[in-house]
Amino acid sequence: MAAYIIRRLVWTVPVVLLVIFMTFMLMKQIEGNPFRQTERAVPAAVQMNLERKFSLDKPWYVQYANYVKGVATGDLGPSLVLRDRTVNDVVKEQFPRSIELGLLAFGWAVLLGVPAGVLAALKPNSRFDYGAMFFSNVGFALPNFLVATLLIYFVSVKWGLLPTSGWTTWEHKILPSFTLGLVPMAYFARLVRGTMLETLQQDYVRTAKAKGLRWRRIVTVHVLRNSLIPVVTAAAPLLGYIITGSFIVENIFAVPGIGRYYVTAVSARDYSVVMGLTVLLSIIVIAANLVVDILYTILDPRTREART
Amino acid sequence: MRLRVPLLLAAAVVAALAVVAAGCGGGSEKEGAVGEGKKATSQVLRMAWGAEPPSLDPGLATDTTSSNVLLNIMDPLVRLGPDLQPVPALAESWDVDGKVVTFHLRDDGRWTNGDPVTANDFEYSWKRTLDPKLAADYAYQLYGIVGAEAYNNAKPAQAAALRDKVGVKALDDRTLQVTLTSAQPWFVQQAAHHSFLAVHEPTVERYGAKWTEPQNIVTDGPFKLADWKHDASITLVKNADWRNADRVALDRVEGRIIVDGTTRVQAFEAGEVDALDGGGLPPADMPRLKQLPEYEKYPALGTYYYGFNLKNVPDLNQRRAMAFAIDRQSIIDNVAQADQIPATGMVPKGMPGFETIEQNFLPPRADLTKAKEFMAKADDPKRTITLFYNDAPGHKEIAVAVQAMWNELGIDATIKAQEFAQYLEFLGPPPNDAVYVYRLGWIADYGDPMNFLELWTSKSGNNNSRFASPAYDRLIEKARNTANDEQRYEIYRQAEAMLTGPQGELPIAPIYWYTYTNLERESVMDSFQINPLDQFDLSKVVIKEA
Repeated sequence: MAAYIIRRLVWTVPVVLLVIFMTFMLMKQIEGNPFRQTERAVPAAVQMNLERKFSLDKPWYVQYANYVKGVATGDLGPSLVLRDRTVNDVVKEQFPRSIELGLLAFGWAVLLGVPAGVLAALKPNSRFDYGAMFFSNVGFALPNFLVATLLIYFVSVKWGLLPTSGWTTWEHKILPSFTLGLVPMAYFARLVRGTMLETLQQDYVRTAKAKGLRWRRIVTVHVLRNSLIPVVTAAAPLLGYIITGSFIVENIFAVPGIGRYYVTAVSARDYSVVMGLTVLLSIIVIAANLVVDILYTILDPRTREART
Repeated sequence: MRLRVPLLLAAAVVAALAVVAAGCGGGSEKEGAVGEGKKATSQVLRMAWGAEPPSLDPGLATDTTSSNVLLNIMDPLVRLGPDLQPVPALAESWDVDGKVVTFHLRDDGRWTNGDPVTANDFEYSWKRTLDPKLAADYAYQLYGIVGAEAYNNAKPAQAAALRDKVGVKALDDRTLQVTLTSAQPWFVQQAAHHSFLAVHEPTVERYGAKWTEPQNIVTDGPFKLADWKHDASITLVKNADWRNADRVALDRVEGRIIVDGTTRVQAFEAGEVDALDGGGLPPADMPRLKQLPEYEKYPALGTYYYGFNLKNVPDLNQRRAMAFAIDRQSIIDNVAQADQIPATGMVPKGMPGFETIEQNFLPPRADLTKAKEFMAKADDPKRTITLFYNDAPGHKEIAVAVQAMWNELGIDATIKAQEFAQYLEFLGPPPNDAVYVYRLGWIADYGDPMNFLELWTSKSGNNNSRFASPAYDRLIEKARNTANDEQRYEIYRQAEAMLTGPQGELPIAPIYWYTYTNLERESVMDSFQINPLDQFDLSKVVIKEA
């Protein structure tokens, strides 16, 4: 097991290097000047000073080498647009908020999505099943910005129940996390329902029933545990989705997280912020996948042998 | 037995929902309408800022949000009066002698650490902004000063020598002498721009790039930066030691940073903020918002225009036809909807000298008869053209409207959107050959027509039209050296005529002059004012009682 984890960790290095290289090349390919944020032309002297300051006057391979060196020492460089701050500052201050938002959204998804899927599977084709699947489809189909706008309009502006935006008290956190959690929630509900239905048909469930095991025990121990494997598999990429996909939610609810930077930095050509966040997110996705693989071995002993 | 499990899980779901419901309390109530009430006891203004300030360093800031925070926590030499003329602020007076401007500073300017604000602070700050090592984007705002451009352009080896040649000098603690490259009669009012603010040298030297953080920053204005949570909030508190503090009513300005326009409006409507920062209201909501008593609009010094690539649309009569076919008023009423003013020239209404400069050749409403006459006179008119715009909200709708208007002339325009950064590269100058017509806008840095007309000189980096006229360049150069306002406005009139007059080349078809639209609680509506350069002075805001 330990050897497996170490091997996986070592593999992260070339993957991250490849991610840096590809992002770096892609950013170099798109046109646009990071030092021209408005229609105002930048005088040649100013442009030259800025390129010198941020080492953009060096050949690309020097820039790349410097960048890799920076990442290795944990220095993601200065932001080209936010002049008072470094990418490290941005990450340190804003990333925890995105993580919090992502985990809360994930919490909603597990808390509501999994039970809904279980209930629907236990009473297939019932009213509850149809209802749950209807809402799951709706949750899947409605874009975040629409849900967010509707929630703010009704819950905050019309009924005055919760604040419209911001990220200070726990009241502020309900609507954004719920909105962001909607898609994974819907996804979990459908996934759990499907796998539960399948598991319920398995021979070992019939055996358990025949042995006279109590139904609750059959469901919680035998059916649910086996049905959760696909959920765990889906969780890792979903976590990536939740953090990168939080752009719209963070923007609409004015959550000072990192998701919105990811998109605005691309349009602002803030190379170092784009690179820094890409590296960070790839590390997170890699780590999440690793955690999932470890969880597998706990949930499903059969995978243990194959992987160690 | 079978039923128990679902019930258990259902209970969990219900419990989760109950947690949500429990949080649903304490919604704030809307403030009531305000009459001619007197000053309220609580002087706390809750504002929504439209962006995170990229920098609160006067040398590095380039955007409106940073600028407005800075102008409220710092003390400029001059501020702009209602007619955009400079009024004394930290400088109690100034003398202009040809190319030499001398500012006389008050003796009661104080930094928040107690140090006096001196002329040396300004000399240090302006030279710092020009330092090639600082690499300030807006260093060019100071290029009107002798030696400034050369220093900003210096190689590291020559920098120190060129620094001493920059024409800004503290003659003593209270006298700042500035030598300009030409007369530039607008220089004194230009000093109201945030690029001309002073910074506190010991603080800057000690903390480097981090000197603007609230725990480090030292300022000299009516408010202090009490707190700045990046991307979340900016809190200003009254600076009780400021030279004019007894005239400042507000105790605190609690600012929230809300980038999304719709959310900003919703935060206002839910009663969470008292005023927005004038950063614009969502176009789709305009018809409704304009009906609110809290709606306010201000004229802006800015021009929204369509430029022609003269290489692809070479015939003047075709350009005249196209400019006459645009129904500016209809675009404002039905598309833009923010009470803008139909633009009949490059220099916007409200600009000093406008009455002299304006041409009244282009019509506010479409004049199809004349447009068709011009089109008939056009030699080999281009009937299949492109119209480029950047993909920000609102531009497409205007492009579609103009496309339909030009269709009346038998011109088939294909409209094409591009992402902004890519778009700016695409426009050059010179513009890409695919461009026939392009959209751009210009917002003033200072209140002199020069700021608009110098765009169209042949070497200007902002002239994307391929319009190049030595006669025009000479006029602009002449204006730069003409101190007398009336004479200078007359030169501007000739320059504007060369662009949009009856005999003008029409490298552009102006569409509208901008307005700033805002939402302000009626308790602050009288005192919260945005000037045509998008600046607001919070030291003048008073919250009235309901």
